[in-house]
Amino acid sequence: MKRRSWMERQGWIGMTFILPNMIGILLFFVIPAIYSFVLMFTNYQFSNPNWQFTGLDNLKQLFHDDNFYASIKYTMIFLISVPVSMVLAFIVALFLNRSVYLKGLIRGMFFLPYISSGVAVAFVWMLLFQPSQGPINEMLRWIGIASPPGWFADTDTAMYAIDIVQIWLMLGYNMIIYLAALQEISTEQLEAARIDGASTFKITWKIVWPLVSPTTFLLMITGLIMTMKSFSIIQAITAGGPSGSTTVLSLFVYKTAFGYYEMGYASAISWFLFAVILVITVIQWVGQKRWVHY
Amino acid sequence: MNEKAGNMKVKLPVTIIMFVLGLFMIVPFLWMVSTSFQTPTEVFKNWLPSSLNWSNHIRVWTGSYDFVPYYLNSLKISIIGTVGAVFLSALAAYGFSRTSFKGRDGLFVVYLSMMMIPPQVLFVPKFIMFNWVGIYNTHWALILPAMFSIFGVFMLRQFFMSIPKEITESAFLDGAGHYKIFFRLVLPLAKPAIATFAILDFSWQWNDYENALVFLQSPKLYTIPLGLQNFILENNVDYNGMMAASSAAIIPMIIIFFVGQKYIIQGISSSAVKG
Repeated sequence: MKRRSWMERQGWIGMTFILPNMIGILLFFVIPAIYSFVLMFTNYQFSNPNWQFTGLDNLKQLFHDDNFYASIKYTMIFLISVPVSMVLAFIVALFLNRSVYLKGLIRGMFFLPYISSGVAVAFVWMLLFQPSQGPINEMLRWIGIASPPGWFADTDTAMYAIDIVQIWLMLGYNMIIYLAALQEISTEQLEAARIDGASTFKITWKIVWPLVSPTTFLLMITGLIMTMKSFSIIQAITAGGPSGSTTVLSLFVYKTAFGYYEMGYASAISWFLFAVILVITVIQWVGQKRWVHY
Repeated sequence: MNEKAGNMKVKLPVTIIMFVLGLFMIVPFLWMVSTSFQTPTEVFKNWLPSSLNWSNHIRVWTGSYDFVPYYLNSLKISIIGTVGAVFLSALAAYGFSRTSFKGRDGLFVVYLSMMMIPPQVLFVPKFIMFNWVGIYNTHWALILPAMFSIFGVFMLRQFFMSIPKEITESAFLDGAGHYKIFFRLVLPLAKPAIATFAILDFSWQWNDYENALVFLQSPKLYTIPLGLQNFILENNVDYNGMMAASSAAIIPMIIIFFVGQKYIIQGISSSAVKG
């Protein structure tokens, strides 16, 4: 009780600690968010000073827009990268958690893509996947595949090639977090199972995997949200092409706003993106209590 | 003794397998550096350059695509942005963890909810607002928003709360005010957490492509990601130049990673596991 009182007595000083930050959050987050929400109901275009409220027109247009449905499809394909990279990361973390030599070095090798993420690695992958003479297709031809895929150049494969880059990028991040979770598991429990004659596979599947389920859940949620928001890599490699086949939702917003300057419409799309993130977050709140066993 | 030998029997092959897989992960980097030293006729043909050919790097650094200004721009934005974010986040984190006033928790919920807003929602209004105020197409359009990090407030608040309340309380009873407690006591104790946040924040800003894409227009203001993009758009057959330019962009990050590896890994694993 006494503890609360000294903090409360100087309450106004407390406010001065938060105030500078709060002004920024207000200017760069809260006000823009409200502004964007209003724009959603207008036909605002940056070049055109005459705009008016159009009510729900943008939303109606959105649900009749083929490009919108296409972008949802590409976003779904993009999201495949999340569970795939998690499973791979879990396997890598299992092995690294057992004693290996050079643990720091190997961990660093897996983690390097995440830290160097950005435009530069995107360009490296662009060349690696180059269809006619890139090293990946050279290798595929060498092992006897006469006509390897066109990767980023082919509308059918471009999104999956992006997935490969994304999996490669996120693997190290997921691995680090799985490693931290694995280190919290008590060895006694595992020893007891081993003495009872359980195989390594069975111990992993029946004991370790359930024990790290909170981490799996968290990584899944944050991974889905992070992936839904990101478009740097895609913009750098394909800029949404070929013929729109990598225009995921977040990139669709960017293109509508800054390619066509349809800013009211872009706001409507961006709030759809927000709604999806909101749903995922609510699932997290509910699910944390129900589905995860600690 | 037997146990040790048995241990090695597992340990060695596991190490070898993991090392090979790890190499696989860094092949793109190795290929990038190797290509940056090759001549145009060698690209896509050899894995290793026949001799170290520095001309691509020289061209990137001193040619019409002078990477020096891009570097200076990126450094300026990332350093000012990070210093600002660290300081303002630490202040707010102290306010949220060690002071108490009406509406504090409600305010914190607002912070929480702002985390859910995707950057795509904010690009358009910020673009319009920055145009009004006149900071569109200036470095301030990147620096100012970067100084306010909700993640930073969360992370540092979590750390400040782990500092025993008794320590700050006894300092208070000894007559120290909040500012003295913050600067003399809490900040020094929070050095590891601050280092972690600073490194992560710096790397995000250094790699930031999306904001630069939206808010910068003049080539002389370009940061590295934008400069790189331009280089590649206009030189899309100059593969050696592309890889020399990419190396120039990535290598500082690799250095930061090796210097701050401990903090980066700690920061990432603690922030996620505690959730």
